[in-house]
Amino acid sequence: MRRVRVPEEVLRIADDIRCMRIRGASRIAQAAARGLKLAAQLYPGGDREGYVKYLQGVREVLRSTRPTAVSLPNALSYVMSRVMKAYDSGADLRELINVTVKSADEFIEYSRTATKRIGEIGAGRVVDGDTILTHCNSSAALSIIIRAHEEGKEIEVFATETRPRYQGYITVKTLRDRGVPVTLIPDSAVRLVMKRVDRVFVGADAVAANGAVVNKIGTSLIALAAKEARVNFFVAAETYKFSPTTVVGELIEIEERSPLEVVPEEFLRSCRNVRVRNPAFDVTPPEYIDAIITERGVIPPQAAILVLKEEYGWALKDYMLKATAEIEEAL
Amino acid sequence: MASPLDASCREVLEAIRYGRIQSATKAALSVLEAALLCLRRVSSVGEAKAVLRDFFSEALEARPANALLMNVIRGAILAVRDRLAEGDLNGVREAFERYYRDTIKLVKEVNETIARMAVNRIESGDCVMTYSYSTIVLKALKLAKDEGKEVEVYVPESRPGLEGLRTAKELSDYGVRVTLFVDSAIRYLMKEVDKVTIGAEAIAANGAVVSKVGTSLIALAASEGRVNVFVLAPTMKFSPETIYGELVELLEKKPESLVSEDKLKEVGLRLGEGFGVKVPMFDVTPPEYIDAIITEKGLIAPQAVTFMLREIYGWPFRFTPVRELLGEACESP
Repeated sequence: MRRVRVPEEVLRIADDIRCMRIRGASRIAQAAARGLKLAAQLYPGGDREGYVKYLQGVREVLRSTRPTAVSLPNALSYVMSRVMKAYDSGADLRELINVTVKSADEFIEYSRTATKRIGEIGAGRVVDGDTILTHCNSSAALSIIIRAHEEGKEIEVFATETRPRYQGYITVKTLRDRGVPVTLIPDSAVRLVMKRVDRVFVGADAVAANGAVVNKIGTSLIALAAKEARVNFFVAAETYKFSPTTVVGELIEIEERSPLEVVPEEFLRSCRNVRVRNPAFDVTPPEYIDAIITERGVIPPQAAILVLKEEYGWALKDYMLKATAEIEEAL
Repeated sequence: MASPLDASCREVLEAIRYGRIQSATKAALSVLEAALLCLRRVSSVGEAKAVLRDFFSEALEARPANALLMNVIRGAILAVRDRLAEGDLNGVREAFERYYRDTIKLVKEVNETIARMAVNRIESGDCVMTYSYSTIVLKALKLAKDEGKEVEVYVPESRPGLEGLRTAKELSDYGVRVTLFVDSAIRYLMKEVDKVTIGAEAIAANGAVVSKVGTSLIALAASEGRVNVFVLAPTMKFSPETIYGELVELLEKKPESLVSEDKLKEVGLRLGEGFGVKVPMFDVTPPEYIDAIITEKGLIAPQAVTFMLREIYGWPFRFTPVRELLGEACESP
């Protein structure tokens, strides 16, 4: 098979993602879409079959830059699913290029406005006088809180420190600068303050097919304490954080990070029998989540599959075929 | 009259108030010890009364939830009450010293008994989660090791205060394998845990357990994960005051004890500038999340605490609330 020649401009984007000159789930996703758009505009060939092969090659180059960020393959699938749909219905090359450019632009635009839209939708769930608890530093969750505050709702926020890296401090700073009353608490005080909390808003690193949410370590503990106290628990997540590979049963890997984020090196050296575990994320089961607030609307977590089918229809079919092929091969 | 409390008393008060001495047992015993040293220095019964009244009142304010502290202060006052009334300073000193020695011996024996019973509940191969720093729990885990039981201990760092690090170090030095993690990872790691053993600051009449903040989160996650929770506590930690409806007061620490100025500066924040910091020391674990309280008199359901209180204080309950007793015995003549 002839190797696909990927344009310089696209390779540069891939390199920027790989070397983390472009980082953050949303920015990576937008850059990936931009890469496909550029590739479409620079396509040197003249046939529609060749174009699809070429675009798939470009996609592979972009996808392989960062293996874990779910927003990256999702951005690519967003564009590719639309291209493949057009291809299957017999579109010619011009139409295919147009679909690529249009879908990429659409993705970039929606990614830019998604966080804002989540704020607008989520703020509707905030009631005047609410005490809100948030964990870590999620721009989607903060978008909701800030929007509610701007709408004139009297709210108060508890922000957890979020060990080991203290992202809660950034949350406190952001909210304080916007004039939102905010109180910092240790992660261990979550159940104690839950009695005074009306609603919890957190972000997500990934949403699985069954509605389980992967987010900063501690999220599932907060969700449990909220459930116990009958406090509403909301997850704010752009649809490109939903993970299509989980539909075919793939697990989302929980990254364990360096012990030195938790304790100083001297401590470890002085304790020979101590091992430090530092999981970065945990999984909150869907039954503890009242709703996931996406830019497309509020959904119950169990309806995650709806979002996946609507947003990644093509990708799902692809993953299914791949999974089936693997099983057949194994047999 | 100027308060004759000296520097060593002040130091003890500081240490128990802000959690440098987190252990309820250590807090109570160091208060008794400091009071004993003070009594040796005073020159009149009047002064002795003033010392006991001021120091004990402040100690009770410093750790209002510490039932053991309340109970040993009650015991100490009952031990010296008659000598105080007679104006016999030497008698006061002797009686107090005797009470102090007896209490230390009793606490040691009682903790030993509880640790032994707790070890019966620990099997070789168990993964046991604990929290903060508990004298009795550490004793039990070391005893399990002595008996040749292979136990792995899981302990969260236990912020604010980070007593989990002290627990980890002490067990590690004793040769026990320890896994340390942030408090947020409690639920994530609960799946690997077989049993939870925790200490207590106080146990209320309904079986609710007051302990280091975060304990109730562990108990909740354990209950969700169907992991048994054992509270190791002598009956001296039962709070008779709560029988009469007195609420256990939960203290908070200073904001400085949680956040460091450097960390705040990194994000452009300074304490006292437009945001709050809440640093609770304790929380309350409801009885339904506790499988058993292991006392020196045996293992009981948390709901049976009143039964144990009846054994100690009779029926109807007979005891003088500690503050009342203190006022009566140490009144100025």
